[in-house]
Amino acid sequence: MSERKSLNDLGPAKITETGIAPGDYNPVAIMPDMRVCKLGGQSLLDRGRKALFPVLDEIIAARKADIPILLGTGGGTRARHIYSVASELELPTGVLAKLGSYVPMQNARMVQMLTAKHGGIYIMDDDFEKLPLYVKMGCLPIMTGMPPFGYWEKRDENSRIPPNRTDAGVFLSAEFLGCKRAIYIKDEDGLFTDDPKKNPKATHIPRISAQELIERDLNDLIIERVVIEYLSRSKWVKELQIVNGLKPGEVTKALNGEDAGTIIYSD
Amino acid sequence: MSNKLVTGDGRTHIQSKLMRESLQDRSVINDTDSIKDRRILPDITVVSIGGQSIFDRGKAAIIPVADELAALHKSKKHPMLIAVGGGTRVRHTAAVALDLGLPTGGVAQLVGAMEELNAVILNSLLAQHGSITMPRDHFWDLPLYMNSGILPIVISVPPYHFWEPPAEVGQMPAHRSDFGVYQQAEVLGTSHVIYVKDEDGMYDKDPKEFDDAKLFEKITLDELLANPPETNMIDWAVFKSWKTGKNIKKIQIINGLKPGLLTKALAGEDVGTVITKD
Repeated sequence: MSERKSLNDLGPAKITETGIAPGDYNPVAIMPDMRVCKLGGQSLLDRGRKALFPVLDEIIAARKADIPILLGTGGGTRARHIYSVASELELPTGVLAKLGSYVPMQNARMVQMLTAKHGGIYIMDDDFEKLPLYVKMGCLPIMTGMPPFGYWEKRDENSRIPPNRTDAGVFLSAEFLGCKRAIYIKDEDGLFTDDPKKNPKATHIPRISAQELIERDLNDLIIERVVIEYLSRSKWVKELQIVNGLKPGEVTKALNGEDAGTIIYSD
Repeated sequence: MSNKLVTGDGRTHIQSKLMRESLQDRSVINDTDSIKDRRILPDITVVSIGGQSIFDRGKAAIIPVADELAALHKSKKHPMLIAVGGGTRVRHTAAVALDLGLPTGGVAQLVGAMEELNAVILNSLLAQHGSITMPRDHFWDLPLYMNSGILPIVISVPPYHFWEPPAEVGQMPAHRSDFGVYQQAEVLGTSHVIYVKDEDGMYDKDPKEFDDAKLFEKITLDELLANPPETNMIDWAVFKSWKTGKNIKKIQIINGLKPGLLTKALAGEDVGTVITKD
């Protein structure tokens, strides 16, 4: 019988006439033109019609202009509530991740109902391979932002909250599809030098590198920490764009590929 | 815990400790932690049957392992969840996929199918003794299976699929079979995990290459992390995750080519390599 080898030995493997040999890895971009966007849970959905409708109007307009878009939804306050209940019961992180997946799913379904007449379609993880069909038909696919790790979500040190939530899921969708940017639609302009609600002198940061953000070691962050980590080693996604959905026109700019909000980039 | 809806800042919140808070704020999320995790199914032992180490060796290796599993199941002493690896077909899948330039998430999406094959193989041998193939995330059905004398068989690889995070090194998914088995056991809060491989346990270097390779009989997780072996027979992601895990206290690696060792391991004997965590 053949000897056992670690999968790590494979590295970038190459198929040769004589078998499998080390080789160069030449990645293929799956659907690089897709605009993968997250709709914030607490920042948009929990604000209801007033915040959400104008954002959806801009998204639908962009979709009608033939820009391919994939929406992922966040959770928000109901997710926070169930995390809080589950934490008190000392349930493992994997169970919290599973519980946390239901709220963004509801939000995705709400957005689907609202956009159905414009081609909004609710998709599940297993429908991911049908994205080319949805794009070709002019549909607007909407899915949960939560990655499917569920019970297999790893525990963080000193926290029971799943580290990979909807920001991470949307990022990883964009990375798999081979997109350059992942877009996050929230209720803030992005990053500031200080909390603008408390310090009127705080100024907006239009661009910052992932490395610089990691070095600042902030106690709070506008995006899930793992996303910054992934950004520093991803193949395709080199930029995260955070735009304010409450300001008219910002979402349209982002969907047109223009710089708006804050861009976190990796070198 | 309260059930009040709170408004006033343009959003509608449900009152809870995490209301309005940023879940990135360390001081907020640290408050969700405690010294232990609840154990959901503490009496089950997760037994991993290696793909390359057992299944790829064919009938000569598979039949004795299946016979021992059947006898153990019949004894009703040890509720077990059996997880199977994929072996050389996983390696081949990955090699072809990477040659084609498919992304890490693409590789992760593909490999599980090769484990399903080994689950069907093992189930074909054990069905007459009460085994069943179980979709890996159906573990809320486990109490039903345990009470009905059914031996569930699952695949090992975690369901990260297209969403597998970019790896720290290279393009191979970091979350593979060994990790999936560990993580399933950890979240269920089972007592311990047994990896059935084709070596007497874990060595400081590859015993197939080096005659002077030293077997670790008993080692702690901290010792292992401080001095990682040159060749890892278990994916390193297991030990990295175990560091922050709270439930699993013991991981055992035994030689499935030597009949009887699995029975001893399940009886609590220190055969093979026993890795413990304080």
